[in-house]
Order: sequence, then C-alpha cells, then structure tokens
Amino acid sequence: MESSVPSDELYPIAVLIDELKHDDVSLRLAAIERLSTIALALGPERTRSELIPFLEESLDDEDEVLTVLAEQLGNFVLYVGGNQYAHVLLPPLESFAGVEEPLVRDKAVESLNKIADEMTEVQVEEYYLPLVKNLTTADWFTSKVSVTGLYSSVYQKVGAESRAGLRQLFGQLVYDDAPMVRRAAATHLTGLVSHIDKDTVVTDVVPFFLYLAQDDQDSVRLLTVDVLIATAGVLGPDLVREHLLEQLKKLFADKSWRVRYMVADRFEQLAVTVAAGDEVVLKTHFVPAMVRLLKDSEAEVRTVIAKQVPGFCQLVDRESVLDEILPCIEDLVNDPSQHVRAALATKISGLAPILGKDLTIKYLLPMFLQMLKDEFPEVRLNIICKLEQVNNVIGIDLLSQSLLPAITQLAQDKQWRVRLAIIEYIPLLASQLGMEFFDTQLRDLCMTWLHDNVYSIRDAATENLKNLTKVFGVAWSKATIIPKVIEAGANPNYLYRMTACVAATTLAPVVTIDVIKDDLLPFLNNLVGDPIPNIRFSVARSYQTVQKLLLEKAAESEYDSDAMDASTPAPTEEDTKAKEERVAEVKEIIRNVIVPNLEKLKEDEDVDVRFFANKTLQAIG
Amino acid sequence: MDTDVTMTDAAQSTLSPVSHAMSPPSFEKSAINDTQSYNELDRWIEMLMDCKQLSELDVKRLCDMAREILVEESNVQPVKCPVTVCGDIHGQFHDLMELFKIGGPNPDTNYLFMGDYVDRGYYSVETVTLLVAMKIRHPSRLTILRGNHESRQITQVYGFYDECLRKYGNPNVWKYFTDLFDYLPLTALIENQIFCLHGGLSPSIDSLDNIRALDRIQEVPHEGPMCDLLWSDPDDRCGWGISPRGAGYTFGQDISEAFNHKNGLSLVARAHQLVMEGYNWSQDQQVVTIFSAPNYCYRCGNQAAIMEIDENLKYTFLQFDPCPRAGEPSVSRRTPDYFL
Repeated sequence: MESSVPSDELYPIAVLIDELKHDDVSLRLAAIERLSTIALALGPERTRSELIPFLEESLDDEDEVLTVLAEQLGNFVLYVGGNQYAHVLLPPLESFAGVEEPLVRDKAVESLNKIADEMTEVQVEEYYLPLVKNLTTADWFTSKVSVTGLYSSVYQKVGAESRAGLRQLFGQLVYDDAPMVRRAAATHLTGLVSHIDKDTVVTDVVPFFLYLAQDDQDSVRLLTVDVLIATAGVLGPDLVREHLLEQLKKLFADKSWRVRYMVADRFEQLAVTVAAGDEVVLKTHFVPAMVRLLKDSEAEVRTVIAKQVPGFCQLVDRESVLDEILPCIEDLVNDPSQHVRAALATKISGLAPILGKDLTIKYLLPMFLQMLKDEFPEVRLNIICKLEQVNNVIGIDLLSQSLLPAITQLAQDKQWRVRLAIIEYIPLLASQLGMEFFDTQLRDLCMTWLHDNVYSIRDAATENLKNLTKVFGVAWSKATIIPKVIEAGANPNYLYRMTACVAATTLAPVVTIDVIKDDLLPFLNNLVGDPIPNIRFSVARSYQTVQKLLLEKAAESEYDSDAMDASTPAPTEEDTKAKEERVAEVKEIIRNVIVPNLEKLKEDEDVDVRFFANKTLQAIG
Repeated sequence: MDTDVTMTDAAQSTLSPVSHAMSPPSFEKSAINDTQSYNELDRWIEMLMDCKQLSELDVKRLCDMAREILVEESNVQPVKCPVTVCGDIHGQFHDLMELFKIGGPNPDTNYLFMGDYVDRGYYSVETVTLLVAMKIRHPSRLTILRGNHESRQITQVYGFYDECLRKYGNPNVWKYFTDLFDYLPLTALIENQIFCLHGGLSPSIDSLDNIRALDRIQEVPHEGPMCDLLWSDPDDRCGWGISPRGAGYTFGQDISEAFNHKNGLSLVARAHQLVMEGYNWSQDQQVVTIFSAPNYCYRCGNQAAIMEIDENLKYTFLQFDPCPRAGEPSVSRRTPDYFL
C-alpha cells in the first residue's frame, strides 16, 4: 500500500474495484469501462500482480462484460509498465479467444493483434508463439477459429525458422475437420499471404489454396476467390497462370451459385490480376467465362456480373466485346429479373466511351431507349442518372433527338423520384440544347412542375427555374419565367401559392435589382394580405432573404465585377457615387415597402406570422 | 388486418397508477414563449429530423412543455382548413420523412395526425419525439390526436416500451411519453364539418358535446366512450357490432349517417385500419380511412396516403410508397451471413 496517498483519494478506486465484483451487470460493465482509471491508480506493478490475475478470474462473467474487458486489455500495455511487460496480458486474452461468444473472441483477437504490434521479436518468440500453438492445437473449434486471425501479425515479427513453423501450424487449420475452422483459415489466408515471399507461396500456400478451393462446402470454396486474388498479387501473372488458372476455371463453373456469385462479383479484379493484359488468356479463358456468367441460371449472379461489364470490356479487344459480350447484354435488357435490369442500367452507359460514337448509336442507343420504357422505375431512374456519359460520346443533338420523347414521358412518370431525376437533368440539357429549342420543347414542361402535387417536385421546380435563369439570363427569365410564377401565386390552393412565394425568393439571387424591385417584390407584397397565415409567414421569411440580397447587390452591383478586373483602373469617384445612390435607393425600398409590410405582419392574429415578421425585422435592424 | 387486441389481463401488474400529481414547477410555465426556447426547440427538431434521439433529460423537458399546451386543447379540438390529414405512422420514421417530402415541411404545411405514432416500427422514439417537438414549436400548425397505441398497456406489448429500454437503458422516457399521451386530444373537428379521430364512433356518444364532456386525462380505459373512439371500426353490417379486436365496436352506415346528420358533419375521417391503397372510402362516403405507414411493419406491401384539404374544403389524396432505404439489398436472395 502506498502510504503517501491519502486514503480519501483511494476511496473512489476502492469503489470501482468493488463495482468490478458487483451483482448488477450494468455496474460491472461501467467499472470495466473505467478499468484504465483503476490501473492508473494502482500503478504498473500492482496492475500486473493483482489486477490482471483478478481479471483472469472473472472469466465466467456475462458475455457483455467480457467483450468490453477483451477490448480494454488491448490498450493496456501502457498500464502494465510498457512493452517489456506486454506479455502479462496474454493469458486472459488467450482464454477469451476460446469462449463461445464470437463477439468476445473477435475483441480478444483484435486486442491480441494490437499487443503483438508492440512486442519485440524475442518477446513474440518466447510468449506469443506458444499462445498461437496452444490455440491452434486446442480441442474446441472456437480457439482455432480465433487463432487464424493472429497469424498475419505474428508472422511479420518472427525469424525464418519460426516462420516455417507457423506455416506448418497454419496448415493444420487449413486441413481441419471443422468447416468453421477452414472458413476462418481461408478468410485470414488472404492477409497472411501478402507477408510470404514468392517461392514459399508456391511451395506452401498454393497447396492450401488448392485444398480449400476443392472443399466440399461451398461456403469454404467461395472464400478462396479472395485468397486467389491475394496470392496472385504476390506471385505475378506467370506463376499464377501456372499454378492457379486451372482451379480458377473450375470456380468460374462451380456448381454452387454462391461461389459463382463471388467470382462474378470479383470478375474485373480477377481479370486484372490473373490475365494481366495477356490478350490470349483473356480471350480463351475470361471472355467465355463472362459470357457464361451473363447467362447464368441465377438472377443474383447475373446481377453482379452485369455490374462488371464496362470494367471488364475495357480490358479486352473490341472484337470480343462486339461479338461475344454485347449479344449477352442485349439479352439482359430483357432479363426477367428487375434487379438484373436495374443493375445493368447503372453500368451500361459505361460502355459508351469504350464503343465510341458510331457503335454507341448502333448498339447502345436502342438498348437505352428500351430501358427508359422499362416497367420497373428503378431501371428508368438508373438509366437517366447516367445519361451524361452517353452525352459525352454521341453529343447532345443526337441524344436529345432520340431521347427527348422518352424524357418528356418520364417527366410525367408516376414515381416522383423519377420526375425528380429528370428535373435535375434539365439545366444541363437546357445549356446544351440552346434557348430556342428549349423554349419550344421543354419550357412548358418545367412550368407544370410548379403545380405538381408532390412537394419535393414543386421545390425542385423552383430550384430548376433558378438554374435555368443562370443559363438563359435575366431578360429571358423576366419575360418567360416570372410571369408564370406570379400566375401560380393566384392558385386557389395555399400549397401552390407557397411554391410561387418560394420560387420568387429562390429567383431573387440570380436576377437584377430592377427585376426584384419591379416584379418580385410587388408580387410578394401582394401575398401579405393572403387569407392563409402560412402564406403570410412565408412572405415574412422571404423578405429577410430579399432585403439582404438587395443590399448586397447594391453594394457590389453588376458593374463592379467588370470594373474590378485588374486591367482597369480602380473605381472612379463617379462609380463610387453611383454605388452610394444605389445603396440609398434599396435602403429606401426596404424602409418604405418591406418594413411597413412587416410592421403589419407583426400585428397579425397568427402567432407564427408574428414570429417570422419579428425575426425579419430584427435582421433588418 | 390490424391484429391488435386489448390486453385485459396482461400487463395489469406492471401498470402503475396514473399520476396527476406531477405539476411542473411554476418557472416552467411560460418557458415556451421566449426566443431561447424557440432556438432550443429548433435545434431539437433539426436533430430529430436526422433521426437522432434527444437525451433523457431533454425528453422530460419536452414532455413538460407539451403537457402545458395539450392540456389546453379540447377533447374535440377545432382545426382550421387548410390542413393535411394523416393516419397511422407506427414508428416508421423514414416513411414519416417521406410523408413530409410529399406533403411539404411543417410549419409551411399544416398537419393533423390521427394517432398511432409508436409501436411496430423501429423508430417509435424518434417519431413521437419529433411530432411532439413540432407540436410545441408551432402549436397552431400541427394537431396530434391520441391513437389506441398511445397507451401504457399497448406500448408494453407492441414495441415502444422495449425500444425506450433499448435506446435509453431505462424506462423513464417511456414513462414521460405515456404520461403525456393522457393529455392528447381524442378527436378534432375541421371547420365544423370534418370529424377526425383514430378509431370510430361509440354507442355511448350521440353528439360532439358528449365527447367534450369526457374526462380524457387518463389511461385509455378497456371499455366505454373514450375507449370506443380509439378502437372502433366501420363495418358493412348495419348497427353496432362486437369488434373482433376485443375493444370498441363496429358501426354500420346507418350509425355514421345518423351521427353526421345530427352533428352537421360532412365526413368522418379516421385511421386505425390498414388499407392497401392508403385510403379507403366507406359507408357511401360518410367515412374515410387514412393510413400513412407504407409497407406497414416493413412487410405488408401497402401504399400510404395523406388527405390534403385546401382552404375551400376540397380534398385531394396523395398516395406514397416507402422511402428507398440505403444499403438495403437490391437482390431478394443473398449469401446468408451465417454461412460465412
């Protein structure tokens, strides 16, 4: 007992230690979470000699408590006196690694790996290797499953001789009777293999892979796909083909769909690592495999392989794409499963840059048009979202000619998210189509969205009008857009008047002071007398935005952006004077128009109107 | 389709007597009228819109504030048009967000919710906290009624109690809310014409004044007029019938016609029953059922609906589907985890 510490300072620690033994789980849990406080108070020596042995005894506690304890011990090297004592933490964690509950074991493995990182080679050889060996040769599968996760970090730490021993031990796990252990071994072989040198991989790891890849459990076989990729990373293309290609071909055609799902999901990666640009290998092995997977009997497999198509097509010659793969894609457009079609829709546009303009028009465009009419909304949506890629290849003219009918149809789609996707695409379309084309083909459509019965569409419509004004300019907006907005402000339903009010406010930043003064502000002023309070407080909120914009625009008005150009001289006295006049003018508008209206709203019968009117008045100051 | 039943026997032992004794300290009386409270409420609402729960202490304060407002409301709370009327939500928080995307945000759009905010869905806590916070922030823009699930007994069986326990580690939040539920109005009346409530009519009630005379500040009883308002269903058969739910009654077209006529009503709008289209007219347009939880219990495959009533009492139904859930498998069948 350290007598220098007053007893009342130790008291809280005593309480914590008592709580470690408390009957109430939640209290024990809380105490474990503050274990570092206890250790700090006890000092390294007593932590080693008293606390750790005590914790070892609490092994039969609830899983909940053990999970936290296993996690805490991973950060405990500091508290037991630093690296040279790290090994004292191993015995409790070794036990945790063997318990029934996977959560506890996972945390134990995590902590053991952390501790291994902090140990020296000598310590690992002396304390850690025996632990690995114990767990590997344990009777029960739980320890063996856990220990597979330790090999990778230990292997890096030890010398050549111990490494050979570790590989031999790991082999026992690979050849274990229990499929759970073989699964864990396959999972962690992926990490382990990257630390092993090329020759040893050929002699030791390749047999592991071949054994696991022929496992009679498909849940083991499917894990070997990642092992293959990792192994290939070490071996390089030639050795891979010599040792692994035959087995990979078997995995491609595995009788279990879950294994085929896995190879399909990693197809591009496999092609990159295994074929490594070798056209013959790609053509003789991978293209046929891709074709077969695209025609797989299971929709799940077709879904994942559909997503690999553009990536893979980049790797192979155009002839194979056109003759072998494209016909399969054409079939997938009509696939009976909507999920396959939706997956294809997200990726198919990626083929456009690979095929180039003419072939895209010839092959892809018809598929696009068909998928745009798909009965499943997600398919339509996915196609629209990726139109830009096609646009870049074939140009907007062609795209709009062939797609415009489809787009106008989708703009009225029953699913509001499809309509939303179209709206978001409109400004881009507008900038590329030009004003004339837009005015005749799309403008009216944009206005109908202001009257959509779904709020989000109306909201997006107002944002769209703002973006269109940026594209076509203020004059266009004043002549065509703003009158329609003002018209919407007379709708008998308050929700649509609200939209008009929001639209006017949203447009304000992109128009001139004159347009705000002559068009938008009078419109808003009109709504001050609206019978519905929601409209009145909406106006009160709009005033805040509008008055701020007026002041900003007056202070750094349109002329200034040109005048500030480096080549021109600093603003003349005349400019400054003009600016002052503009500021004075908008201040007068605020004072004579906006403020009196707000004063009126401030006395409104409705509390929310009063609230927002006051808030804006405060902002004006 | 709604399979709830009352639990006449179950949970009786765990039911604590309703306490009216906990009147708030006087300094909290006017707590809602200052800017600071508005700012705090706005902050809470912002958090809740992100589906983040409030702290236990904040929930307590929220419920204290809400009680002050709700206690002033009538058993037949008058509501002005325009208003958007919504049915059951049942803890489907993300679908409530979808509802606001369809109908517009509060306070811009006025809402009337007809009960059943909690139970069954995974986010009862966030759902009911949000609605109550919105109610306090803009009391005249949002009306919340009591449903049969806003009750101590029912929430112990259908999920809200367990959810509170899981999310807060103790049942305090459940207690704050279920105590608050006693104050929720039972019915609402839009422009003296459209009568809104969770369940349906009661043989013990002829007129709206009968309802006004009820003492509602209590746990939902197992029988009697207050119970019926929250539990009854319309039926194809005439007259009153025994409800298969074990509480409330079924009522025929003759009953609703007589009730509407006597009280000068044009329509009874109610929730309480799953309807596949989200809304359903019945009894020669005397009664409409509105259900606002799409794909109820994440498996029923139904659409949801809300009823927009404009300033001229013209109504429009908006139907909607569940919101797309991020990370949900797009494929029906995946490699099950337990094989891995």
